[in-house]
Amino acid sequence: MRVLVSWLRELVPVRVGIDELADALTRHGFEVAAVDAAPEVPGRTAHEPDAVLDLEITTNRPDCLSVLGIAREVSAIFGDPLRYPPLAPASDAGAEVPVTIEEAGSSGCPRYAASVADVRVAPSPAWMAARLEAAGVRPINAVVDVTNYVMLELGHPMHAFDLDRLAGRELRVRPARAGEAVRTLDGEERTLRDDMLVIADGALAQAVAGVMGGADSEVTAGTTRVALESAWFDPISVRRTSRRLALSTDASYRFERGADIDAPVLAMRRAHALLTEIGAGSPRGGIVDRYPTPRAPVTVGLRHARVRRVLGIDVERDFIPTILERLGFGVEPGPDEGGGATWRVTPPGYRVDVSREIDLIEEVARHHGYDRLPSTFPPLRRPPAPRGAALEQRRLLRRVLTAGGCSEAITYGFIEEAAARPFVQADEDLARLKNPLSEKFAVLRPSLIPGLLDAVVYNRRRGRRDVRLFELGRCFTGTHGETAAVAVVIAGPGAPEHWSHSRRWQEGERAGRVPASDFYDVAGIVEGLLDAAGIEPSFEAADGAALSWLAAGRSAVVRSRGTGEPGASSLGYAGQLTPGIAAARGLPAAAGDAVYVAELDLEALARAGRDRRRFMASPPPRFPAIVRDVAIAVDRTLPAAAVRDTIRAAAPDSLVDVRAFDRYEGAGIAEGQVGLAFRLTFRHGDRTLTDAEVQRTMQEIGTALRTTHHATLR
Amino acid sequence: MAPPAAVEGVRAAFAAELRDAASSDDLQELRNRYLGRKRGAVTALLKSIASASPDVRRDLGREANALKREIEEALAARRRGLEATPARKAGRPDAGADRDPAAASTRAGTDARDLGALDVTLPGREVKLGHRHPLTVVREEIEEIFTSLGFEVVEGPEVEDDYHNFEALNMPQEHPARDMQDTLYLEAPLSTPAGRPGTLLRTHTSGVQIRYMETHEPPVRIIAPGLVYRRDTPDLTHSPMFQQVEGLLVGDDVTMTDLKGTLECFLQRLFTPDTQVMFRPSFFPYTEPSAEVFMSCVFCRGDGCAVCKRTGWLEVLGSGMVHPAVLEAVGYDSERLTGWAFGVGIDRLAILKYRVQDIRAFYDNDLQLLEQFLL
Repeated sequence: MRVLVSWLRELVPVRVGIDELADALTRHGFEVAAVDAAPEVPGRTAHEPDAVLDLEITTNRPDCLSVLGIAREVSAIFGDPLRYPPLAPASDAGAEVPVTIEEAGSSGCPRYAASVADVRVAPSPAWMAARLEAAGVRPINAVVDVTNYVMLELGHPMHAFDLDRLAGRELRVRPARAGEAVRTLDGEERTLRDDMLVIADGALAQAVAGVMGGADSEVTAGTTRVALESAWFDPISVRRTSRRLALSTDASYRFERGADIDAPVLAMRRAHALLTEIGAGSPRGGIVDRYPTPRAPVTVGLRHARVRRVLGIDVERDFIPTILERLGFGVEPGPDEGGGATWRVTPPGYRVDVSREIDLIEEVARHHGYDRLPSTFPPLRRPPAPRGAALEQRRLLRRVLTAGGCSEAITYGFIEEAAARPFVQADEDLARLKNPLSEKFAVLRPSLIPGLLDAVVYNRRRGRRDVRLFELGRCFTGTHGETAAVAVVIAGPGAPEHWSHSRRWQEGERAGRVPASDFYDVAGIVEGLLDAAGIEPSFEAADGAALSWLAAGRSAVVRSRGTGEPGASSLGYAGQLTPGIAAARGLPAAAGDAVYVAELDLEALARAGRDRRRFMASPPPRFPAIVRDVAIAVDRTLPAAAVRDTIRAAAPDSLVDVRAFDRYEGAGIAEGQVGLAFRLTFRHGDRTLTDAEVQRTMQEIGTALRTTHHATLR
Repeated sequence: MAPPAAVEGVRAAFAAELRDAASSDDLQELRNRYLGRKRGAVTALLKSIASASPDVRRDLGREANALKREIEEALAARRRGLEATPARKAGRPDAGADRDPAAASTRAGTDARDLGALDVTLPGREVKLGHRHPLTVVREEIEEIFTSLGFEVVEGPEVEDDYHNFEALNMPQEHPARDMQDTLYLEAPLSTPAGRPGTLLRTHTSGVQIRYMETHEPPVRIIAPGLVYRRDTPDLTHSPMFQQVEGLLVGDDVTMTDLKGTLECFLQRLFTPDTQVMFRPSFFPYTEPSAEVFMSCVFCRGDGCAVCKRTGWLEVLGSGMVHPAVLEAVGYDSERLTGWAFGVGIDRLAILKYRVQDIRAFYDNDLQLLEQFLL
């Protein structure tokens, strides 16, 4: 709302400078976003400083979408009297235009006032045009300008019809007929629905009620008689219509927030006065006012004690009725209640935001001054709850992942459909947005990987080789709904370069170069995560169809060993991303450059994890361990996990650790076979093991490996 | 064969204490504690020989007796040293300790053998650490501050239903305030962990507060951090997804001055202790009275600069007293209870805290930015 200060001065004295006025309005809830220069009006000299205040009016205060509304606040702030602008006298004469509110239109239009005026259509006087322009309204002609002037001054939208172009020279308020068309003032042909309200003549719709007039009855240079409308339309009906037509106007903006139902006749009288004042016309006959069920005034109780309860301060008792009366509320003292004063307050029609006590307390707080609220601290009435498990879990995972060299990314929850598509099995599994911002943000991510992959690409394009990122976030699929996950993406060198690598990496590696990350890097990260959660991991080769975004033969389903029997639900997966997916997202092709990913479901992780509150330490082992190696050759397709399981099954409890430490193909190993070596650690809890008993165990393990896997001991 | 661990432990402990002994009284005290008949540590070792298993008995005996002799000699040597330099100040016994064979043998740096020189200026092997995202850094800091003020951290679904995002917050259908937050809707409802299927992406985390109140009796003292979504075209200060934290306090005696005090404490801890806080009237459908919260500009410290548009103040938060209609929607007694709530964009706070120019930089995940943040 742009308010010209000289216009404001006509309604209330302004005894402070422009800056102080702007500051006072801002402090009372009407933020002055800008102070602009006032327009020059030829022939008028400004005696006092003038400016245009650009005010932000919150949606609850439609009454302040007017000079009068702002003047009323200024009056309340500074205690100066409000002067209502001049009105034409009320007349008992009958109206020259019949108005009918059809039954079906009455809920959308509880009040409709109309009158007729003879007009001479010409440009408005310069001062009026300048004021409209200062407020951001384009001057059109004196008649239309008067209606807009009244809207800006009093806040009440009006409309003028060319009376001679209304069939039957009458006005009818009725619902639109389904499919009924009207050409609005902006020249658009609009098709209406039967839940929209129109102002029609004897035959056709001539205006969309409360939104915009029709072009067919527009006031033009040839107009000599107008029917003036000053009505009150239901906010919800106007808002719905305005939204459906995608048509927002100064009128609809005010009606949908709530105009003053007491204002239509006053606004009409103001319009009559202005028409006469500027010589643009003269009213013919009186004002018809269709208002079958006048608003019953409501009374809202206000307790001094409640003001204290909410605000936490003592507001002087007398301040309360004073400020409310200045704002136009009716205030009657009520009986003292519990030792405190009370009032019965009647809000005026323009205060559509006030219907209960808290609304009045807000008025008191606003005018008493937020700056006068001291700072206090709320007492703790109950011990706070401990931090929730999900939050703790994410903090733990974050600690482990950052310690593991991965940095945290936060990527968008909605992504391109093409980026999401490879990560779902079926099209209907994608959660699409009805009104996406753009194609780039069209579907909710079914996985964290596509966002992370884009982040890898972003970093790669900026020349960054080693990228290790993780994200904790929500995923969305039709099948599983909203779920929480952690995902890791790694690419490039597995460690920072170091001058010592030229010595440490000898054969097959160029001096100073670090080998690229591979599957076992991402597997190690996953193992670390699971270890932190108290889960013993179990990896099994993934069947290609289920994880179609991972390279065949290079992906694993991750389970908890405790529930790791085949068929147990998985925690997630780890593997190499199909190169085609990375290439499609623009990853620069580099030789041997692969992207490895892992993604785990946080809820599954929480279910499988150990309850940290129940953790207890066991004493460190008191007896020495005996370490033995076993080296075998087996079929090269045999998973190492199977060998490890066989070893475990064949050994007594004293086998405390089995670790694969070598895998070898080539010279000395038969074609189709692979050499595997495991380091076995034995330890007994109650005594020192003897070489002889471990030797017997090793023989049993050897036998088991030969019979189960046709292994050759090496 | 290495001496048994028990002996080695006593030897090391004695050597350390001997270094700190500065007077003859100290030396007497040491003698009592190591060689004393009743409570001496070496005496206890010698007594334990009898009960030791046969395979360690011999070693233990030999080593414990050797230690006893060492201690006798070391104490005698130190006593001679003290007598020779009577003026030495207590607490600086280094010179004496250097002449002491028992103490010297436990200290590094006295071995003069040449092990070969290194270029100690070459970089060490980097322990590569990852970094938390700056928005996480700020979010966790906020969580810590409010946890320390007795608030519980509560979370909820990002896909929300109309009731919890709008209606229960005093924003019925067709409410003009719904325009304030342009909402993204789903084509088809989606199931969420919260139960009721979601039809939209939450525009704020207020739904979390509603759910909490629906399932908990007052008093309520929570914060609800999380991602929120709005149909805003990305630019320097807008992102269609950002992080928010909302706070809610409901009880028998909750006032607006408490709101001011709590937010002041929060902003002073997150920024600097001299941060000033200012309230200005505003409007939100779910609070009344409502306040926009400003803090003194972090760039110019309130003097006025381009960032604060010469006002000295930055708008950072929305807040207010919980509207009685919201309390009533969750079945709370709006006469007995009052409450306050606030909401703040974590991205905005991070921008101010770290002077990041462009909100979109948070979602590029450029390692060159992420790695700048302290762990």
